[in-house]
Amino acid sequence: MSKYPQVLFRNRKPNRSATIEEYRESGGYRPLEKFVGGRISPKKIIELVNESGLLGRGGAGFPTGRKWAAVSDSAPFPRYLVANGDEMEPGTFKDRVLLHVDPHCVIEGMVLCGYSFSASKAFFFVRPSYESSAVIFERELEYARQAGFLGNNILGTDFSFDIVVHRSGGRYICGEGSALLNAIMGKRANPVKPPPYPTDKGLWDKPTVVNNVETLACVPHILSNGPEWFRGLSATPHGAGTKLYCISGKVNFPGAVELPIGTRLSEIIEEHCGGMTPGSRFKACLPGGASTRFMTGEHYDVPMDFEDLKNIGNRLGTAAIMVFDHKTCLVGAALNLTEFFARESCGWCTPCREGLPYMRDLLWRIENGEGQEEDISNLRRLCKEVWNSYCALAPGAAEPVISLLDTFEDEVRQHISQKGCPFHAKADN
Amino acid sequence: MPRLIIDDIEVEVPGGSKVIEAAERLGIVIPRFCYHEALGSVGACRMCAVKFVQGPFKGVQMSCMIDAQDGMVVSTTDEEAVQFRKRVIELLMMNHPLDCPVCDEGGQCLLQDETVSGGHGIRRFRGSKRTYRDQYLGPYIQHEMNRCIHCYRCSRYYQEFAGFKDLGPLQIGNRMYFGRFSDGKLESPFSGNLVDICPTGVYTDKTARFKVRRWDLQRAPSLCNYCPLGCNTVANAHYRGVMRVEARFNQHVNGYFICDVGRFGFSYSNGGADHQMRPLAPRIAGNAVSAQAALAGAGKVLRNVAEKYGPRAIAAVGSARNSLEVQCMLRRICRNRDWQGPVFFFDPAKLRKTRSAVENLDGEIAVSMREIEKADLVILVGADPLNEAAMSALAIRQAARRGAPVIAIDPRPVFVPCDLMHIPAAPAEIEPYLALLVGRAVEKDSAGFEKKAMDFYRALLAKFGNTEPPAWIGELSGQLQSSRRPVIICGTDVTRETTPAFAAGCVRLLRLAGKEAGLFYLMAGAGSFSSALLCGSDTLPTFADLIGDIEKGLIKALVVAESDPFHYYPDRQRLGRAISKLDHLIAIDYFPSETVNRASVFYPASTIFETGSTYINQEGRVQFARQVHQGGAPIWGGEHPPRLYRNFIPGGDHLPAWKVLWEIAGGSAADAAPANISPAEFIAAENAVFEVFGSGNYPVDGIRVLKSRSGPEGPWDSLTPGSEPGPGACSVRGPGQDAGSLEKSTGSDGLELLMVEWMFGTSEFSAWSDSLDAAGSEPYMSMNPKDAESVGICDGDRVSLELDNGSLEIMVSVSHGTAEGVLVVPRHRSLDWRKMKDFSVRVLPGKISKLI
Repeated sequence: MSKYPQVLFRNRKPNRSATIEEYRESGGYRPLEKFVGGRISPKKIIELVNESGLLGRGGAGFPTGRKWAAVSDSAPFPRYLVANGDEMEPGTFKDRVLLHVDPHCVIEGMVLCGYSFSASKAFFFVRPSYESSAVIFERELEYARQAGFLGNNILGTDFSFDIVVHRSGGRYICGEGSALLNAIMGKRANPVKPPPYPTDKGLWDKPTVVNNVETLACVPHILSNGPEWFRGLSATPHGAGTKLYCISGKVNFPGAVELPIGTRLSEIIEEHCGGMTPGSRFKACLPGGASTRFMTGEHYDVPMDFEDLKNIGNRLGTAAIMVFDHKTCLVGAALNLTEFFARESCGWCTPCREGLPYMRDLLWRIENGEGQEEDISNLRRLCKEVWNSYCALAPGAAEPVISLLDTFEDEVRQHISQKGCPFHAKADN
Repeated sequence: MPRLIIDDIEVEVPGGSKVIEAAERLGIVIPRFCYHEALGSVGACRMCAVKFVQGPFKGVQMSCMIDAQDGMVVSTTDEEAVQFRKRVIELLMMNHPLDCPVCDEGGQCLLQDETVSGGHGIRRFRGSKRTYRDQYLGPYIQHEMNRCIHCYRCSRYYQEFAGFKDLGPLQIGNRMYFGRFSDGKLESPFSGNLVDICPTGVYTDKTARFKVRRWDLQRAPSLCNYCPLGCNTVANAHYRGVMRVEARFNQHVNGYFICDVGRFGFSYSNGGADHQMRPLAPRIAGNAVSAQAALAGAGKVLRNVAEKYGPRAIAAVGSARNSLEVQCMLRRICRNRDWQGPVFFFDPAKLRKTRSAVENLDGEIAVSMREIEKADLVILVGADPLNEAAMSALAIRQAARRGAPVIAIDPRPVFVPCDLMHIPAAPAEIEPYLALLVGRAVEKDSAGFEKKAMDFYRALLAKFGNTEPPAWIGELSGQLQSSRRPVIICGTDVTRETTPAFAAGCVRLLRLAGKEAGLFYLMAGAGSFSSALLCGSDTLPTFADLIGDIEKGLIKALVVAESDPFHYYPDRQRLGRAISKLDHLIAIDYFPSETVNRASVFYPASTIFETGSTYINQEGRVQFARQVHQGGAPIWGGEHPPRLYRNFIPGGDHLPAWKVLWEIAGGSAADAAPANISPAEFIAAENAVFEVFGSGNYPVDGIRVLKSRSGPEGPWDSLTPGSEPGPGACSVRGPGQDAGSLEKSTGSDGLELLMVEWMFGTSEFSAWSDSLDAAGSEPYMSMNPKDAESVGICDGDRVSLELDNGSLEIMVSVSHGTAEGVLVVPRHRSLDWRKMKDFSVRVLPGKISKLI
């Protein structure tokens, strides 16, 4: 067991989800009874969430309370909430684990969030590969309805709120808020540049809040234990709450763990993942999913929090830590990621649609011994130019590539001069 | 009005303008692909990047996505922006097949222009190119997806602007595909605009494919003369044939687009696909003769008839497809020589309706097509926009996209590419329903009406009588009441004779109630407006009068200029008999029509592409189509280029019809006019409103000839409570009265047969343009389910309709969109419908029988 308090994962059990009874025994649905049942002003919820310092867990780290407060009092009805369960960032699987561990935690968070800005309907947006999560969630929604926590007149009040599981066709771009809304409305999932922001004109031009699943799951705990408690969970003075870290790569025990936000990378790898696999040395990691920069041993002790990573020019993103060892070719790793982003581009704007396949082509040539000297400068320029694309997908996709060139230029040059991948040299001969 | 500096030049632009638009005001055309004025900005192609040096934005940004603001300093030539644009071009060209030598877009390709101007020349990408499978998109559009640069213009035009869903973006990433779910004919009758809007050669004009290079074309600004809207076009000719037609921007009329009929319906001018159909040789008694002989022959014939029987034994016939020049010349000759006529309308009721529309339209209430787009409510009154004047349907859609409700009061199953509240109303019910709608909407303002307006208002209320109003009236009149800029679009085809004036009165009443209400009429034929103007208030004979006189032997010679009575007149038998009684039939035309076939003297007329011609559209706008090419027998097959040298143009004897008329009527010898009379002279002399042609001002283009304002007297008086309501007087059905009134209409009077226009296939031009054969569908008769049930007919049945002179076989479409008590049949070229004694016909139920 972890030496740290388990909040979101407190009901984690091997091989099954927590039932509604188990969730209630652990204190679940009490915030709902207190705030919704007691008809406490929705403003109070927003106030508490604001004080808690909860930042969006989807990657951008936007203050959650501020997003909810952006729905103005005079905004039209109906208002919508969307839980973004289109978790497709490579290396990220926390939402799936969370949904399997404690679905009611998410349900309660959604109801409380909906209450805070008087929404009447929520969409739980889930990708096709997460069918099992959708099935569990739908089943548990029914239990919540039977218990009076969901549906018409929740807990006998005049507040009605229901959640629909929206099984999407699913693509990486659907994780982008505006594209996700388009997808729910049956349109092509292209991002749309704000303004108007979804909190003004979202689904069917009505105010809509889009939150990550993990973010919503934090809400009941903040409301039951108070914002100070939540801030106190952090390992750093400026952080707040716990964080679900997804660790993959060359460690002994990869997986999703709940730790105080701001836990040092070294501790995560060594204490919580059982260290590097035998014969492996830490070379680099991607600290927050595929659209962050390669981080070398230089920052091995960095606290894994939004602000600390920002200070070293990186991003916490989804806190999906991909660990690479000294035997891994990072050109190959970057190629693999670029392959993914090129495939997942929605095709709307030129730098992303055509630029990412171009980057993929250049990386493939370097990795496969067809690289040329000028490819490096060409890649650098491409990485810079995709910043002028329509949404954040392409700039994110360029992050691992540009950090590869910045940090591991020698390794890239070695590929070009040796006309092949040095890590495959033995196998090739 | 933000002021900003672009490339060191200061400019002030209207609020809400994008930077790319602001630059255009300075004549700086920032490179672009996805941006198009008609489609707006979406920021997809990233081609319009510029550097923002000062102001709220900094660095390289897309000029189409940022509103011009005070204090901005923008550089379009900054090195960083230039390099970025160059990269965008490089990315777009990565997969482009570079097949310009075999691409019909070559020479007019935006991608070519931007590639060259952007400075991208050397391909660095070493990968293989992406390829796609092309789709069959119907007879007009050639698909070539490999050339695509994914600017989304096609899908945004096709789906958002034009309102059809069968073509759009598929797949993601760099596999993005623009096409249909599966191969098939494009459903939109505005699909041809894809050719113009595509910045490269993905969609090209299939009818012109591989025929000619762009730079070899003879091009000139022209007009579409199919319908009265007068959409602006550019006609392209080569080797004495018209090759293709493109849309030409006009900010008042058609905007950037035209319909498929106007784009692809030019083949009549080339004599059809095989170039054999058009009669190009002058003939006397069926034998080809020289041009001089034909002109002299016709002149001699007419002189002889006039001497022997008097000038009234000669009659002249034109049509609504005549240009203003031809119509004025016909009018001048008839007056000066005392011939009978001219007749432009075959249906006298249609003449009266068109004339009423022309009289009621003034500069205050008339709206242009572009102004329809800004309406916040549109009421169609006996108007079927798509079939009667297709581009107006696209304008209505733009209003609907901005939130305007669209209401149709019409007996036909009207389709417009937007949401439509359709009230199926028999022609007699149109006015009462409109009266109810407008009456309710102006109710609270009526107290302040002056006496004449008040009388009109009372008359309007009386129109509906005491019948209980239908359920929809509350909501719709509420919408009308809260609208600011409602537009009434009134037809002149299926409506009663009083309706055009009534609609004008309603518009004026709405204006008195404080609304900027506008009026837009639909008419039949490019020359409708001018012919109604020219017919004026004189008592000219109707075509039926002429036939009567021919039958009585009073008329011996008929001069028919660009007209075919056999196309328009409903009693073909009688017409045929009368024509054969004539001593002389002189035809001047470019169609191989029945009239031309029967003519004793035939002279080939020039088409709109071969001579300058003026048309006045249905909102009174004078427009000029320039000569595109010389004309003559198109060069077809054989050697390329042709190696037979002659000092004349084969088939080149055709003349503008007005010149032929001038010659055969005796020219200046019989008219106190100079030998080389110019159109300006004889047009200006015909009507006071043509003063714009005065002092030799010719051609005139773009000027509206409308009275500035006709005082309240005019239109108010044209509608009095007792005025003639036409056949089948107000039989408005209230709730619960359906059965009774149906019994009345089917039992005693039978069903009213409405002969209507169809987009592809009822115009005289479409009858001779084989390029339109592939478009449209089999004509059918629409009827209401109740009427169908009472005569035992189901949807999809084939029926035989017994008319006065025989039967008409047609398929039936049963729909709730058709009013009760009417049968709607298109005057389709493939239907043999001209078997009626009159234009207005009622069919008794027993005369409809199902065919097995």
